[in-house]
Amino acid sequence: MAHVVTPLDQPSNYKDSQTRVDRQKQTELLAKSTTLYIGNLSFYTTEEQIYELFSKCASPEDGGGIKRIIMGLDRNTRTPCGFCFVEYYTHAEALASMRYVSGTKLDERIIRCDLDLGYKEGRQFGRGKSGGQVRDEHRQDYDPGRGGWGAQAQRMEVERRREVEERYADAQEGPGAVAGGGEEWKEVPGAVLETKKRARSPEEEAESARTAQRTRLEEEVEAERM
Amino acid sequence: MSYGRGGYRRRHRDDYDDRRRESYETPEQKLRTAIIKLGEVDAVEELPRLQKQIQEHVPLNVANISEAFRIAVTEQPYKIPYYAALIRLLHEPSEAAQDSHGPSIGRLVLEDFWKGFQAYLDKLAWRETRLCIQLFAHLTVAHIVSPDSMLSLLQSFTAVLDEFGVSHGRAKRAALCAAEGLMISGPSLKPHSGTGVTDVINAIQAFNDTATTSKWLVRPMIRVYSEAVTIENGDELLDTVLYALKTLNDSDFSQTTDSFPQPYTNLPELDISTISHFDLPSVLVPPEVIELEGLSTETEEEAQVKKEEWPEYYLRLFDNEISPDPNTPAGYAVRTALLDTIAIFEVNRKECARLLLEYPKWNLPGAFKPKPGAPSDVEPAPGKDWQLESTLIETILGALLILPESSHKSIYYMSLITELCKLSPSTVGPAVGKSIRKLYSFLSEGLDVEGARRFAEWFAVHMSNFGFQWVWKEWVPDLALAVQHPRRTFIRRAVELEIRLSYHDRILKTLPEPMQSPDALTISEQAPGPDFEYDDPTNPHHDAAQSVLNLLRGRAKAEDVISHLDTLKTTLETSEEGHLNVDAIVRSIAVQSLLHIGSRSFSHLLNAIERYLPLLRNIASDGATGAGLNLEARAGILTAAASFWKNNRQMVGIVFDKLMQYQIVDPSDVVGWTFVNGSGIGQPRELVGPLSLNAFEWDLMRGALDKANGRVMIAKRKVAALRKEEDDTRAQAKARANEDTMEVDADTKQEEAPVDNPAMTTAIKALNSLTREQKAALSRTLEGFVSCLAASATDLNPNPHSRMVITEQAWHDRANWGNDEWNAWETWGWYRQFCRAYSPYLRTYATTLYTVSFARFEGSTDPAAELLKKIWNVAIGQDTS
Repeated sequence: MAHVVTPLDQPSNYKDSQTRVDRQKQTELLAKSTTLYIGNLSFYTTEEQIYELFSKCASPEDGGGIKRIIMGLDRNTRTPCGFCFVEYYTHAEALASMRYVSGTKLDERIIRCDLDLGYKEGRQFGRGKSGGQVRDEHRQDYDPGRGGWGAQAQRMEVERRREVEERYADAQEGPGAVAGGGEEWKEVPGAVLETKKRARSPEEEAESARTAQRTRLEEEVEAERM
Repeated sequence: MSYGRGGYRRRHRDDYDDRRRESYETPEQKLRTAIIKLGEVDAVEELPRLQKQIQEHVPLNVANISEAFRIAVTEQPYKIPYYAALIRLLHEPSEAAQDSHGPSIGRLVLEDFWKGFQAYLDKLAWRETRLCIQLFAHLTVAHIVSPDSMLSLLQSFTAVLDEFGVSHGRAKRAALCAAEGLMISGPSLKPHSGTGVTDVINAIQAFNDTATTSKWLVRPMIRVYSEAVTIENGDELLDTVLYALKTLNDSDFSQTTDSFPQPYTNLPELDISTISHFDLPSVLVPPEVIELEGLSTETEEEAQVKKEEWPEYYLRLFDNEISPDPNTPAGYAVRTALLDTIAIFEVNRKECARLLLEYPKWNLPGAFKPKPGAPSDVEPAPGKDWQLESTLIETILGALLILPESSHKSIYYMSLITELCKLSPSTVGPAVGKSIRKLYSFLSEGLDVEGARRFAEWFAVHMSNFGFQWVWKEWVPDLALAVQHPRRTFIRRAVELEIRLSYHDRILKTLPEPMQSPDALTISEQAPGPDFEYDDPTNPHHDAAQSVLNLLRGRAKAEDVISHLDTLKTTLETSEEGHLNVDAIVRSIAVQSLLHIGSRSFSHLLNAIERYLPLLRNIASDGATGAGLNLEARAGILTAAASFWKNNRQMVGIVFDKLMQYQIVDPSDVVGWTFVNGSGIGQPRELVGPLSLNAFEWDLMRGALDKANGRVMIAKRKVAALRKEEDDTRAQAKARANEDTMEVDADTKQEEAPVDNPAMTTAIKALNSLTREQKAALSRTLEGFVSCLAASATDLNPNPHSRMVITEQAWHDRANWGNDEWNAWETWGWYRQFCRAYSPYLRTYATTLYTVSFARFEGSTDPAAELLKKIWNVAIGQDTS
């Protein structure tokens, strides 16, 4: 419903250089995406601040909510480097964020949202040469919220900086490093026996079968490229 | 390696493709764009040019032109009068085709446009339908549409108001269609049929009279004791419509000219000999379609989640000299135009803000004060000369504060105001400031608690976008009010929400000294960190907690932690005095330790929970191997979590949400817990009083109820999808069977249809479980409110004031109210919000819930019980008084 103006919830022209899907497939995936890339964050902005703002676009009564937030980290220092992913349960919530939150301020910086293909292992780390985001390699201005020129920082933020620097020191890599955030409601099998592995529900079986299939597909695509 | 280069090349090519697609426009598209863009500079001057362009365009493509009109009319309602003028102009024969005797382009376009209108109506696209009616109404005054057919069109919509059991939402929308059509076409309809006009007005009036009880429940200023539905600081939508219509009718619609632009009235008379009136065909408004129908669970009938079933009250923040009075025709015209613009451009708030600031261009000259500093050659219109920015902010905030909920997400209205401020800070900023002060003053006049909650939310979001610059100083005198006075709860909440969006030190520095002091109970002394109660070495369980913490830090396996907890229990049982609840202590140690390792961030919390899900499940079932129905254990988990995060109420909400998400606790556990324990969390000790509900507890409860309802919604969709899949498969199988065995009787093949579908069985079972849980959560909420507000002598910790605060006398004496009185009053407010916001869900279980919670009051004259039942009945739609 918008011929007269361009809706704000259109994905940008960004194409992940490391993804293996083509443009058409990407468009299809983005049309269902529940994940947002958030850029231009201050290095000091916390996940809870992000949660607070983005929960305003959540529709829990419609089965939605914030599934998880994945903070973008400097590959080397394991400190936030100014971006994150916010994953909702529904596509509509991601669109709402594009319309109502992208381009407004969080922690006194204008943040930018973009629909994203979804978190993949390893994407929580910056891709710049120095470990952070590529854009910070080339930045020539002084930006106190993103590490100043170098290591300078405003006095008021010194304390925040110390906390932030330690916060993700334990960040892991590899499969399972990032929590899922909780899946859809499932019938819990009657008894919960702590010693035995919980029996899998038929849906979980179906899910893991699908995942396996997806992985296979990706491997095939990968093989094709080689 | 060609990886990077390949990627680069492809991206480059894609961009090129996109550019080319966008830039190429066919002549047809160009004509459409020209029509849609009418009035970029001056609509009246552009009209003849556009008329010529359309008439000279070959070949004539009526569908293309009328498509442009449909888009233009339904997406740019402020231009409708000019499109009416354009259609009127297109009824003139073009110079090129002067000798042709066929119908004019205008007539052809109108005929095609009508088909579009019919399609909107068939889809029940109410706004589009209403805006098309506005166009027809203008065309009636422009002598294109026959008054007779226009009146019948309006009557088709008032007929909806007489339908048996018509919902408020449907009737309201139909009434607006008829009313706005009449306001604009009145000058032509009244001379044609005075009684027809009066009948339309009377029909709307008659419907509006039936909505009195529901108005009582959604009026934005709470007066529980009073039945009155008119308020001093605002107006209900249909009331304003009726006032405006009656004013117009009393003066035979002479004021229409003064309220709606009529650019077609200055055009030269049409040659009546060649042009006959267009008769609008007659229509029937189709019935509503019910979504998600036909899903029967084994419980009660299905919840149909229908929204917008309520009258709409808009608060007024300014005097009639500053912003237009919507009860006048001209004021209503402004209100409806702005509301439509806000709704249509929801997809692009930046454009919306720009268009709103341009709105005076589309209204009559002199309606709004010119921009400061801009040269003005227009005389202010008498009785108008309004301030644009104040009008805009008042309308947007009015829409934000609609009860029980706004039509778009609250954050949309907030972001829209932010954009307006960015476009014109010097004019919009002051209007925002004045609005904040006015709303703040309403807080002590009974501003509804849900309205106050959204006000605080907007305040924090707005300040977050504008450097947290607010002159808090002017509210310092209010620190003398009771701590639970609505103004003080607003200040505390606003500060708390600001901190969530920023951080403690930043917000502390924005406050004046008297508010910074801990005695002022305005802002916490410390940044809102976790509180691990066993951290203190003097705590008797410090060592036990350290041992658990060390296991968790060392990423011990869940089963090892569980067996360690068992050992701890045994040790405690033998060493401590017998009266201690060892299970509760170990539970608290385990939960707090788990939260401790997850306290660094939201992600850390998720990681900790996911790693130790078996541990949490074990704790939740208290080691029991049964169905895991241990209410005490689950309440204990919630208590431990709330205690750990008592200085950070945002985290309490987040932890509860994820505990529900991971199915450690159920929504009904959270509801039950909140009524018993909620009011003590994160409050200064001074405020811990009798059982009551404040905005924070309401948030927890709302989170739980929404979770329960959302799960049912997902489960229903899943069942519906599977059912559709099944139907499709069956249909395909049947089709194939028919193909294969043409000669065999098709009936014999039908047995092959799948009888047993495990996925469907699972889905239906899940839906049934979740529906039960939904009912339990709703029931516990209602029960909680009843025992809070109409407590019997045996209930724990009842609020002694719940019966007093609902009397008129007490309300007038509110200057002397203490914390308990305000708490009781606020709890009543949340009960109202619970009933009206969740009424679509409550209605499903109305009979059962009523019996469970209200049967005990049979024959009782307890005023609290009476009011509880009255609010319930109005919300459920069973009130006939």
